[in-house]
Amino acid sequence: MQPTLTTTMQEATQSLIDNLLASEAFVRYQRAHTRLSADNDARSLLNQLSQLQAHFRQQQANGGVTQAEINSVRELQQKVQRNQIIMAYAQSQQEAVNFLREINNEISQLLGIDFAALANHATC
Amino acid sequence: MDDVAFDNLEIASVEVVKRAAHDFAAALVETPQFKTFEQTADRFRQDQAAQQALQAYQEKQTAWRALLMLNALSPEQHSELERLQAAFINQRIVQEYLTAQTDLATLCQTLGDALSESVGLNYAASCGASCCG
Repeated sequence: MQPTLTTTMQEATQSLIDNLLASEAFVRYQRAHTRLSADNDARSLLNQLSQLQAHFRQQQANGGVTQAEINSVRELQQKVQRNQIIMAYAQSQQEAVNFLREINNEISQLLGIDFAALANHATC
Repeated sequence: MDDVAFDNLEIASVEVVKRAAHDFAAALVETPQFKTFEQTADRFRQDQAAQQALQAYQEKQTAWRALLMLNALSPEQHSELERLQAAFINQRIVQEYLTAQTDLATLCQTLGDALSESVGLNYAASCGASCCG
């Protein structure tokens, strides 16, 4: 059952969200995401790579990867790395992640415990 | 959103975002879940019986680590380890501590989910959180 949030907690959460979204790192990330979503070539390249990698993993599990298949994955990876829109998106995402870590450190220092670790749903 | 729209956005400085993070942490510290967790954790640290039971369990775990990893404990050793674990877990303060920790984690997960959904990144995963330490 989800806990009921106090008004103060709700307001503080919304304020943090609003400020994160208005930060330079997240504005850049949103802009890069919008550009990627609008670019058919870039999206098609990523879809192709995703499908080829899934196929590749399946072939590896079955013990039969040919040199031609290895070459085709490498070729597609190089195409992805040459695509400026994809690379700008990847870099902006990394910068947003770094900023989020910085903010989590701030929160965790004040709490005395790692907030992200407590917020994690995964269990061992 | 196009570039013009982005250019018209007012960018929040790092200091402003950090201030919002401080306010967020301050609000979290004032929640009943956080207060209960802190109080319970303090009582757990002060409870000699619980600390001794924890130490006895951990010492045996450390001594038998190699056997545990090989899954090679004898039935008697298994029973001994289970007995020590139960002696620790069944302490009232340990139960209270675990409940308080679960309640705080549930609250933090709710807050983390709200952050993740709004910013478009998985908060816990992005911050490198791992349940395995």
